[in-house]
Amino acid sequence: MTPQQAKQVLLTYRPWLNEAPSPEVAEALARCRSDRELAAWFEQHCALQHKIRAGFKQLAIPEGLKEQIVSEHRAQQTQTWWQQPRLLTAAAVVIILISVASLLWRIPRTQPEDLSVAGFRSRMVKTALRAYDMDLETNDVTQIRAYLAQRNTPADYELPAKLQQTETVGCGALSWQGKPVAMVCFRTGKPLSPGAKSDLFLFVIDRKNLPAAATATPEFADVGKLTTATWLTGDRIYVLAGYAAADVRSRL
Amino acid sequence: MASEWDFEGLVARYYVPLYQFAFSLTRSEADACDLTQQTFYVWATKGHQLRDPEKVKTWLFTTLHRQFLESRRRQTRFPHHDLEAAELELPVITPNHVNRIDGAQVLTALARVDDAFQAPVALFYLQDYSYQEIAEILELPLGTVKSRISRGIAQLQRLLTEPESRDSTPTL
Repeated sequence: MTPQQAKQVLLTYRPWLNEAPSPEVAEALARCRSDRELAAWFEQHCALQHKIRAGFKQLAIPEGLKEQIVSEHRAQQTQTWWQQPRLLTAAAVVIILISVASLLWRIPRTQPEDLSVAGFRSRMVKTALRAYDMDLETNDVTQIRAYLAQRNTPADYELPAKLQQTETVGCGALSWQGKPVAMVCFRTGKPLSPGAKSDLFLFVIDRKNLPAAATATPEFADVGKLTTATWLTGDRIYVLAGYAAADVRSRL
Repeated sequence: MASEWDFEGLVARYYVPLYQFAFSLTRSEADACDLTQQTFYVWATKGHQLRDPEKVKTWLFTTLHRQFLESRRRQTRFPHHDLEAAELELPVITPNHVNRIDGAQVLTALARVDDAFQAPVALFYLQDYSYQEIAEILELPLGTVKSRISRGIAQLQRLLTEPESRDSTPTL
């Protein structure tokens, strides 16, 4: 290593650091110990390096800089929430979640159908209350049975004697859980509501299509505005619904 | 990460060396204050991305240097220098030179050192960073950093030891 090479190596030597010298620096330092001229240069170089470092370190710090940085930070923290990106993002997420939840709430939830007799009865009464239009309007029972038979709904229904004496006004072919239901409409003779064509309804379904069985003895139940009677005869389950309990009871 | 640090504690610990580094780059008190403040602002907004707590100081210096480079790019383009081709001339140093040098002269001289050398030289003198750490802060290859420090020191010493050249533009 020549003296010039040693100088170049030692140019970046930091005498204020107690770091282990690299092999190259160690060699240059060893060269200094054996070369007076180089040693003199190195001594002045180190003195100059110390002086330069001191010059950097003496750099005055503006008064109040730290306080200014901290107060600026506090001011940014207290800015209105919509100016803070992270809070803004969080707010957007909350709004989206609320919107999605609201949409989900509004979507009609498909509740499992009540497959009991009560469920069947309730569903049929709702149909009657919606003023379901009869498919066939006639007082001809033969036509009614023929119509129902054509649509594979129970047409060979058996009516209690007193119900047979009630005026038939028509019929409809309905379904419940995909199973055929016959609706036969009667008129008690009482004044009808405006637009109504009947005030007594009989629903008939095959026993095999209603998992929960009814009994032969009529079971009475009020469903909404209507009074119902449910019974089993043969392989059919019957539901008779009327606006007045007496109208129902008197026809069984 | 940012939330785990006490912001005021972080400022108290690092604002002095950051300001000194900023001033050595800008030679302007106002610009150095802005750079330092901007660095802590960036920390407050992005510091949480830092995973290694031991890298906080390096992260701050790197951020400050990036901010400086961005501000310089907005002002002017760096002139191109063929650094590798620059000749490394070492000055003759006498005790007289050493004795008459003060802090103001050092910073004045640094301002006249080539732009590309200033940041490595400032970190070399101001901090006890290794060359590898300086390379990380400045996002430069290790060899480039070593070369720039050597040439920067040589320039700086030449400027400080040659009074007649103080008022002229240094030449490599």
